[in-house]
Order: sequence, then C-alpha cells, then structure tokens
Amino acid sequence: MLIPRADSMHELAFPASTGTGASAKPAESECEVIHLFEQFRNPLLRYVISRGLSLHDGEEIIQEVFLALFRHLQLGKSRRNLRGWVFRVAHNLALKQYAANKKAQATFDSDEGLAQKQPAATLNPEEQAASSQRQERMQAVLRALPEQDRCCLYLRAEGLRYREIAATLGISLGAVSIALTRSLARMGRVVEG
Amino acid sequence: MLREPFHLSDQDILLVADGELSGRRARQARAHLTACWLCRSRLGELEGTIADFVTLHRRTLDPQLPPSTGSRALLKARLAEAAGAPSTNPWPRLLQLLPTHRAAAYICVAVFITVLGSKFILRHSQPQSTQDLALASLAIPDQNLTPGATRPVSVGDVCSMAHEEVVRAVPSSLREQVFREYGIVNPRPEDYEIDYLIAPGLGGAEDIHNLWPEPTSLSAWNAHVKDALEERLHQLVCDGELDLPTAQRAIATDWITAYKKYLGTGRYVSQTRKAALLQKPS
Repeated sequence: MLIPRADSMHELAFPASTGTGASAKPAESECEVIHLFEQFRNPLLRYVISRGLSLHDGEEIIQEVFLALFRHLQLGKSRRNLRGWVFRVAHNLALKQYAANKKAQATFDSDEGLAQKQPAATLNPEEQAASSQRQERMQAVLRALPEQDRCCLYLRAEGLRYREIAATLGISLGAVSIALTRSLARMGRVVEG
Repeated sequence: MLREPFHLSDQDILLVADGELSGRRARQARAHLTACWLCRSRLGELEGTIADFVTLHRRTLDPQLPPSTGSRALLKARLAEAAGAPSTNPWPRLLQLLPTHRAAAYICVAVFITVLGSKFILRHSQPQSTQDLALASLAIPDQNLTPGATRPVSVGDVCSMAHEEVVRAVPSSLREQVFREYGIVNPRPEDYEIDYLIAPGLGGAEDIHNLWPEPTSLSAWNAHVKDALEERLHQLVCDGELDLPTAQRAIATDWITAYKKYLGTGRYVSQTRKAALLQKPS
C-alpha cells in the first residue's frame, strides 16, 4: 500500500500543473474530454479495478477523473501528456477511495479482484484447463509482490512508459525499471517452475 | 550494465525491449542482442512472461467492464453542469490589489452584482417558456398517468433476456397515445424518448401505464442517464444483490432518487437545477 505523501488529499488527487495556455471554451473542452474518455476509459477502469476497487467505485473514479480533466483544460493548464495526467489522478483517487473505505482489507487487498475471478467465459474448456494452472501460479506471485511493483506492472500493461509510471506513482525512473524487472523475473521463475 | 562480463542484465534487456534506452547504450545493447543467443533467449523468456501477464490481466478484467454508453452519457450531463457553473473565484485576486485599486474594484464588483441581481430577478419573475417547463417537468413521469406496470417474470427470465428484448422499441401507435395522454402536441423527435418507466430488462411491461415521454435534451437527469440506472439495477438483480420487486419499485417510485442510491452520484446536480427539474406543471 502506497502512503500518500502530500499534506492535502485534494492536492494529491488533482496535481497542479503550470498554466501554459489560454482557457479553453467549455464546448471545446467538453468535446476533448469526451474524446479522451472514449480513449482511456477502459484502460483506467481496468487499472482501478485491478487494484481491488469495486466496479461501482471504479466508474465513479473515472467520472471524477474526467471532470477534473475538464476543469484542468478550462483553466488553460498544461496539455502535455494528458494520458499520464489522467492515470495519475485516477491512481490518487483510488488511494483516496481506499482511505475512505471502511472495508479496506476486504475490498482493496490489491489482487483479490484478480485472484478470485474465474477465467473469462469466452475461453473454451480446453483453453481454460490449459491456462488455469499457469494463471493460478501467476496470481499467487502477483499477490505476493510489493504493491508498488504491482502498480508498475498494471500501468505498464496499460501502455504507460516508464516516465509516466514514475510520475503516476511518484517514484524514480530507476525504481520503475527495477520493479518491473523484479516482478517479471519472479513471475517467470514461478510460471516456468 | 552487464550481468556477466559479456552479457546484458535482465534490467537492460527489459529496457531495450520497452524502448527505454536511448543513444549509445541502446545501440550497444541491440548489437549485443543480435549477436548473443543467451541474451536473446532471456529476452524471449521475459517477453513470454509479459505475454502471460497481459493475457491474464485482460482476460480477467475485460469481461467485467460494462459498456461505456451509460457512463459516457452521465459524463456528458456532468460536463454540461460543470460548464454552467462558475469556474473561478475572483476574491483572492481582488484582495491582492493595491489599496487604491481595491476601492475601485469593490465598486465595480458591487455594480456588477446589482446588475446581475436585477437581471436574475427580472428573469425569474417571468414564466419560463412552455417548452422548457414541459421538458423540465417530465424528468420524472406523472405518477397518475405512469405509475409503472410489470409483466410476470422471474429473475432467471430477466437475466437471460436477449438484448433485443431489453431495448425493445415502443410501437408508434402506442407512442402517439402516450404523447396525447401527456398533452404534448407536435413533439420534436430530438426532445423526447418514449421510455419505459420500469425497463423491459427489469420486467417492465409494454403498457401505457409504464410509458412516458422522457426528455433527452436536458443536461441532467435525461433518458441517457436513466439508461445507466437501468443497467446498474439489472446488474444488481442478476448478481443477486437486489431483489427484482425492490428494483422495480425503486425505479417506478422515483428513478432520480434510485439513481442517487444505487449509483451514488447525485451530488453534481445543483439544487436550483434539481428544483427546476422536479417542478410539476401548474
């Protein structure tokens, strides 16, 4: 579990950025936000629920992320790397949700979501049989990984570059690289073994 | 950088594979991978593990993701609300002004508030357009005309319904009858959707007592937002977290309250907006 470092949860959830442009017109911002929503909604939702939050909480967080993005754009703030920005806000809101969640152990123990889910119904029985043992082993490794390592894996699986992962989690580039290498080595050893 | 005197470390192999090395280091590492079977084999193993993880990640999570239609509609409604709300607070800037300028600024603000207040009073002392009132008042159906009607179905029936049944279109004769009942003459197609109060996917009947002209053009609490509630209730019923009669009663009694209860997201609609939406026609 990552510990929030900022004094204010609001500051943590909605990172500040320097204003670099004029305020956008609301209609333009709305169109841009909807376009980005269509592009990033599924990756963000996957990331949030992979952290163990419920689908309902995840959907609500995604709504808040894009409302925050709308305000961000309307204030004429930086448009640089909006993908990294939305992931960072989603990550912080997920932490905030965790802090507010009284059933923390039951709902946020990171990979309960992955661990308890059955293989997808779209797999045929042969595929399920072939993959289930390997998947079970991999899930066991995932559960045993440090939370930061799991976050790095999930964010990388959603296509984020190391620099974006580092900014999202507030860690160094080297730490991202080490976390990914360590996690893959552990998973590889167990899956192959 | 090298694991052994002549080989790449796992970290460097991964950095190369992920395109995270640049310049001379990247060229050296790629050249080594081209020449070294051992490191290339290790790269293959790492990529195999990545492929396994990505497959597990997607196969486990993707089937859980609901369609984005409802949440996109809700986001649009919220953005419309946010666009209408004041976005900045001028007071801190005002207080930073020099004392000589501050007095002038206070006078300007006072004049602005007076003008704005006058406009507000004038605007609200006059009736809104009939069209606006009609649309706003229909966010919730008239309980006398549309109390809701169900057909005898089990949870099993509801959860195994084909998509065509869930989104069943209302016959045009019945649509016209509903408009007549609500006293709406020459409705614009873009303003209303003849909607089931209790959705077919929750056992709602194709009955005039279960149909009303639901506004589609309101910025909040419109037909698209209600679709999200219907999806949510259907999911809860089929997951065994809510019994069917409770879901039917909740959506028939006041779907906006049900939305706030089961999706927990009513806080974005301003009180004034809500009052306008819930206002009944006189």
